[in-house]
Amino acid sequence: MGRFALRRLASMVFVLFSISVLVFLIFFATPGADPAARIAGRNASQETLAQVRASFGLDRPIWVQYVLMMKRLFVDRDLTSFVNRGAEVLPQVTQAIPVTLSLVIGSAVIWMTVGILMGALSARYRGTWVDPVIMLLGVVGVSLPVYWVGEVVNLVTQNRLHESVFSWVPPLGYAPLSDGVGQWALHLLFPWLTLAVLYAGIYARVLRGEMVTALGEDFVRTARAKGVSERRILVRHALRTSLIPVVSLFGLDFGALVGGSALLTEVVFGLQGVGKLTYNALQNFDLPVILATVIYAAFFVVLANAIVDLLYAWLDPRVRHA
Amino acid sequence: MTDGPTHAPVARPEAPSASPAGQPASGPVPATGPWRTALRHLRRDRVAMGSAVVLLLVVAACLLAPVYEKSIAGTDAFTSNVNGTTVVDGQEVPVMQAEAGGLGLGVTPIGPTGDPAHYLLGADPQGRDVAARLLYGGRNSLFIGAVSALLCCALAVLVGVSAGYFGGVVDGVLSRVLDVLWAFPVYLLAICLSVVLLTSGVTLGPVTIDAGSLALPVFIIGLIYVPYVARPLRGQVMSLREKEFIQSSVGAGASDLRILVREVLPNVLPTVIVFLPLMTSINMLTESALSFLSIGVQPPDASWGTIINDGLGLLYTRPAVAIAPGAAIAVTAVALNLLGDGVRDALDPKAKLRGAV
Amino acid sequence: MRLSRQSAALAGSVAAVALLAACSGGSSTPTASGTGTGSGTSAASAGTVRPFDPAHKGGTFLALAKAAGGTLDPQVNYTLQYWQLYQATYDGLVAFTKADGEASFTVVPDLAESIPTPTNDGKTYVFTLRKGIKFSDGKEVTVDDVVASFQRLYKVSSPTAGSFYSGIVGADACIKTPKTCTLEGGVVGDAAAGTVTINLKAPDAEILYKLAVPHASVLPKDAPAEDAGTKPIAGTGAYMFESYDPNKALVLKRNPNFTEWNRAAQPEGYPDQITMQFGQTVEAAVTAVQNGQADWVFDDIPADRLGEIGTTYADQAHVNALTAYWYLPMNVNIPPFDNLKARQAVNYAVDRAAIVKLFGGSNLAAPVCTILPPGFPGHVDDCQYSKPAGATWTAPDLEKAKQLVQESGTAGQEVQVIVQDDEVNKAIGENVASTLTQIGYKATAKPISGNIQFTYIQNTKNKVQISLSQWYQDYPAASDFLNVLLGCASFVPESDSSINIAGYCNKDVQAQMDKALALGVTDQKAADEIWAQVDKAVMTDSPQAPLITPKKIDFLGKRVGNYQFSKQFYMLVSQLWVQ
Repeated sequence: MGRFALRRLASMVFVLFSISVLVFLIFFATPGADPAARIAGRNASQETLAQVRASFGLDRPIWVQYVLMMKRLFVDRDLTSFVNRGAEVLPQVTQAIPVTLSLVIGSAVIWMTVGILMGALSARYRGTWVDPVIMLLGVVGVSLPVYWVGEVVNLVTQNRLHESVFSWVPPLGYAPLSDGVGQWALHLLFPWLTLAVLYAGIYARVLRGEMVTALGEDFVRTARAKGVSERRILVRHALRTSLIPVVSLFGLDFGALVGGSALLTEVVFGLQGVGKLTYNALQNFDLPVILATVIYAAFFVVLANAIVDLLYAWLDPRVRHA
Repeated sequence: MTDGPTHAPVARPEAPSASPAGQPASGPVPATGPWRTALRHLRRDRVAMGSAVVLLLVVAACLLAPVYEKSIAGTDAFTSNVNGTTVVDGQEVPVMQAEAGGLGLGVTPIGPTGDPAHYLLGADPQGRDVAARLLYGGRNSLFIGAVSALLCCALAVLVGVSAGYFGGVVDGVLSRVLDVLWAFPVYLLAICLSVVLLTSGVTLGPVTIDAGSLALPVFIIGLIYVPYVARPLRGQVMSLREKEFIQSSVGAGASDLRILVREVLPNVLPTVIVFLPLMTSINMLTESALSFLSIGVQPPDASWGTIINDGLGLLYTRPAVAIAPGAAIAVTAVALNLLGDGVRDALDPKAKLRGAV
Repeated sequence: MRLSRQSAALAGSVAAVALLAACSGGSSTPTASGTGTGSGTSAASAGTVRPFDPAHKGGTFLALAKAAGGTLDPQVNYTLQYWQLYQATYDGLVAFTKADGEASFTVVPDLAESIPTPTNDGKTYVFTLRKGIKFSDGKEVTVDDVVASFQRLYKVSSPTAGSFYSGIVGADACIKTPKTCTLEGGVVGDAAAGTVTINLKAPDAEILYKLAVPHASVLPKDAPAEDAGTKPIAGTGAYMFESYDPNKALVLKRNPNFTEWNRAAQPEGYPDQITMQFGQTVEAAVTAVQNGQADWVFDDIPADRLGEIGTTYADQAHVNALTAYWYLPMNVNIPPFDNLKARQAVNYAVDRAAIVKLFGGSNLAAPVCTILPPGFPGHVDDCQYSKPAGATWTAPDLEKAKQLVQESGTAGQEVQVIVQDDEVNKAIGENVASTLTQIGYKATAKPISGNIQFTYIQNTKNKVQISLSQWYQDYPAASDFLNVLLGCASFVPESDSSINIAGYCNKDVQAQMDKALALGVTDQKAADEIWAQVDKAVMTDSPQAPLITPKKIDFLGKRVGNYQFSKQFYMLVSQLWVQ
C-alpha cells in the first residue's frame, strides 16, 4: 500500500511538471504571445522594447526563464503578473479560492441531493412511467450547454422578469460570507442551480444504473427471500452499495471543479473564482497567472484521481499490482 | 471542457465486463450471433428507435439546408446583408433596424417573423437568415461531433488497447501521457492552438491541415477526450488478458498482432460502439463551448456553437438567435444520449458509462 | 495655443501614440453629435473652464470597468483608462486645459508659472517652477523632482521614451543605457532660480503637447527607478491614489496637501472619493448604472443595450465625437495587396455604411475616407473611393472594385482578415471578408484574442495580409496619424513594435511629411495644408482603407451632473457632481 501511494505521488509530480513545461512551451510557440511589445506600449522604440524584454528576463534562454519562473512561484512566492505589473500572482489565486469553493460546494449539495433522489426513485419505480420521465429529465440536464443555460437564466432573472417575478435577484457577482450568509446564498443561488442541472442529470443516471445492477445481485435476492421489506432493501442494500462508485465519481468531479473547471459558470455569472481568473489570464496571455492557475487546477485534478485510485486500491488489492 | 465532468465515462480500475451480451467471456466472438441479437434488441427499444428517427430528421433537415436557403428563404446564408431589406406583412423593411427614438443609438437585426420565406427566426448581426444558418450550422456541428468521436475512439482504442495488452513500459508511458492530457487545461490548449493553427495551419508528417479547415476543431476535440475513452478500455483489456482464451492463444504461440486483431478487438468493440453516440453528444457540446473562444468553425461558415456565440451579443434584444441553436443542440444531444442508452442496453448492459457533459 | 514656431523637423519616428484603449480596443458603441447631447447638465458654457461650485462637493463616484488597466505608474501606463484618471492625480510642467470641447486641446501652464517663449532658435525652454506646491506625501515640489522625473522616464523604459522624448539633448545615451541616465545638458535644474531648462536637439512643434501627457508627470525624486506596478506614487493633483488591486478596485481620495493654483490645469474636484471597480461584465455594469447602483460604465456599451440607453435613459447618456478612426491596414509587401489596384479595389469595395451600422448606427460612427479624422488639424473632406467620388463617402463601388481586382491579376487568391475577437471587431471583420469575397477573393475573417491581435498584425513574420485596427490620437497634431502610421521610420520588419502595419514607405510622401514637420515649427497653418496633401497622396497609394470615425458614449447614473468632455482625455471625472 505504501509503495503504491509513493508511486502515485511520483506520477503526480511528473504530471504537474509535464503540464507546467507544456504550458510554457505552448506559450512561447504562440506567435504574438511575447508580452514585451504589449507592455512596452504602442509604437515603443526598438530600444525600449528590448529593455522591457530584458527587464522581464524574456531575452534569456527559455529553460532559464522556466527555472526562474518556477523558483519565483514556488520558492520565493513573489511571482508577479505580466499584465498588471507588480500584482503578485499567488494572492490572486488565494483570493479566488473561496469564491470557487462556495460555488462548487453549494452546487454539489444540490446536485447530490437531487441526483440521488432522482436515481433512487427511478430505480425504485422501474417499469412505471416515473422511471422514464425522471431519466428523460436527467438526459435533458446532461444535454444542455452550461454557458447557454447560464446566459438564458441571466436573461430571465436580470432582464425579462427582473421587474416582476425576479425582483429579489441581486446583481451578478459574488458576495463574501462576511456580508452575511443570506446575501452570499442569494448571489450564488442561480449559479448553483445552473451548475447543478448538469451534474444532477449525470449522477441520477449513474446511480440508477448502479442500483438496477445491485437489485439484480445475489445478496438482494437473498434479502428479498428473507422477507426484508422492499424499501429497506432499496435503501439499506442497493443504495448503499451503489453509492460507492458515485462517491468516487464525486471525488473526481469535485476535484476538477475546485481546480477551475467551473470556468464557464463563473464567467457567465461574473464570479471572480479560479476559473474566471484562468479565463482572464488566458485572454490577456498573462503567463505567470496562467502557470499558477493551471498548476493549481492540475493539482486538484491529479489529487482527486490519486485519492480515488488509492480508495480503490484499498478496497481491491488486485489494483495495486496492476 | 464545458463545465462538465472532466472524465466522461467512468474509468474504474475494477474493469467493466468485457463481453458482449449473451456471450460469456470464454471464447472468441463468432462473427454474427451477438451482433444480430443486439440489433434485434435495439429494434424493440422504442425510445432508442424514436431517438434514431429524431436524429435522422435532424440530419435530413441539415442536409436540405441549401434547399431551404435558395428555394424557400431566398437568401444567401454566408453573405453579409447589413444594408438589405426584407418583407414583413407585405411591407418592405430593413433587415438591420436602426433605433429611431431618443438619441437614436443602436442597430438591431430583424426579429423572428414566423414567415419561412422571410427571416423565419430573424437575422444575425450580419443581417443573415438565422434559420438558414441554423441548418447549415447543424451540418458542421454534427460533422464535428461525429467525426471527432470516431477519431477519439480510434485513438483511444490504439492507446488503451496497447497500454492494457502490453503492460509494462508501454503502459507506463502511455498512462502518463493520458494523465497529462487528462489534467491539461483545455482552454489554454484551445486558445493557443487557435492562434497558431487558425492562422497558419499545421503539418503533421504527411498530413497538412489548412488553417480554417474543419479538420482542426475535429482534431482538437477528438484529442482532448482520448483519456476518457482510453482509460476504461485499458482496464477492460487488462482483465481480458488474464482470461483463458487469450492465455491459451498466447500459449499456442499466436503473434501479438493476431491476438489483438482476432481476440481483443472484437471484445472491446461493443464498448467502443456504446461510446460513439455519447461522445458525439459530448463533442457537440464541446464545440459550442469552443466557439466561445473563437476556435472551431471559422466565419462565414457556421455551427450551432458559433450561432449561439453570435446570438449572445443580441440576447437582450433578439434572444431567438441564441436560443434556437441551443435548443437544436439540446434536442440532438438528448436523442444521441437516449440512442446511446439503447445501444448500451442492447450490446453490453453491464458497461458502466456515464452520459455526460 | 499652438506651439512655438521655429525650424526643423523631428528626426526619426516621432510621436505616435494613441491612447491604447485599454481594454483592447474593441467595442461597440458610441454615439451622437458633438459635445454632450443628452443630458442637460452639459449644456452650460461649453469650452470654458467652469468655476467651482461648493454646493456639489462631496460624495463617492463609483465607476465600473471590466478589467484593470495594468500598472499604475503614470510614466509607464499607456491606457486611456488610467490617463483619464491621471488628470486628477498628476501634473506636468504644462497641461491640457480641463474643459469641455475644443478648448481642451489648448496647453496651459501647470507646475510651471507660465509657458516660456523658446530661445536658442527654438531649442531651449526655460520653465519657472511655481512655489509652494506639495506632493500628496507632504513634500514640496522642487526642481530636483522635475529633473529626476525626466530621468526616470528613461529609467523605467517609458513607452514613449524613444519616441516623444527622443529629441531632448542627452536622450540617446539614456535610451541606450537607462540605468545611468542623467540627461546632462538636456534637462537642467537651477534650484536657486527655481527654473528647469529643457534643451532640444532640434526645434519641435509638438514639444508642449508631449510635455502635457501623463508620461511627463512630475513625481517625487525618490520614486522607485523601476515600474512601480500596483504601488501608487505620490502626485500633485487634487486627488491621490489610495489603494489599487487589479482584481478588485482602484480608489482615489482627496489629496490633503492640494490647493488650487491654476483652475484650467488642475481644478479642485467635487467627489470626496472616486472608485473604479473591476471584474463585472459590461452588461452587468450597464444594469447597475440603470438601477442606480453605480455612476459610470467605463467600457463601451454593448450593442444590445444601445437602444434602451438611447431612449429610456437618454438623459443619462452623452455622446461625443472622437479624433480617432478604424481602418484596414493592407500589407503592401505581400500578395495580393502588394498590387496597387488590389488595394484600391478594397477601398472602393468596403461598405462603410454597413460598418457604421455594425458599430451601432449613424449616431455612433461616421464613414471616413481620409486618414486624418474630421475636426483634426490638417483634415480636409475628400473621398476618392466613393461612388460617385466627392468630398464625402456616399456608396461603395463594387463594379469598379471587381474590375480592378481582375486587372490586378490577383483574383481568386486567398485572403485572411485578422481581427480581434470581440463582438464589434468580429462583425466588421466578417463584413469585410464578405465584401472581399464579392469582389473576387476567397476571403475569411480570422478573429484572434484581442490582446495579441495588435502586436500580431504588426510583425511581418506573421505574414498578415489585411487586418482591422484602430488609432486614437495622443495629441492634436497630424503627424500623430500620418507620420506615425505611415512614416518609413515606423516600419520595422520582424518586430512586434512596427506601427506602420501596412509596411508602407514612400520616399516622396516621407519627404513631404518631413517638410510639414519642419514647417510646423514656424507656420502650423501652412504645415497643416501640406498634411492635407500628404493625406491625399497616401490615399491614392491606398496602403490602408479608413472605415469609420467612432463616437464615445458615456453612460452615467441619474444623480451625476456637470458632465464635461475633454477632446484630449475624455470625460473629466473629477469635475462630476454626485450630489
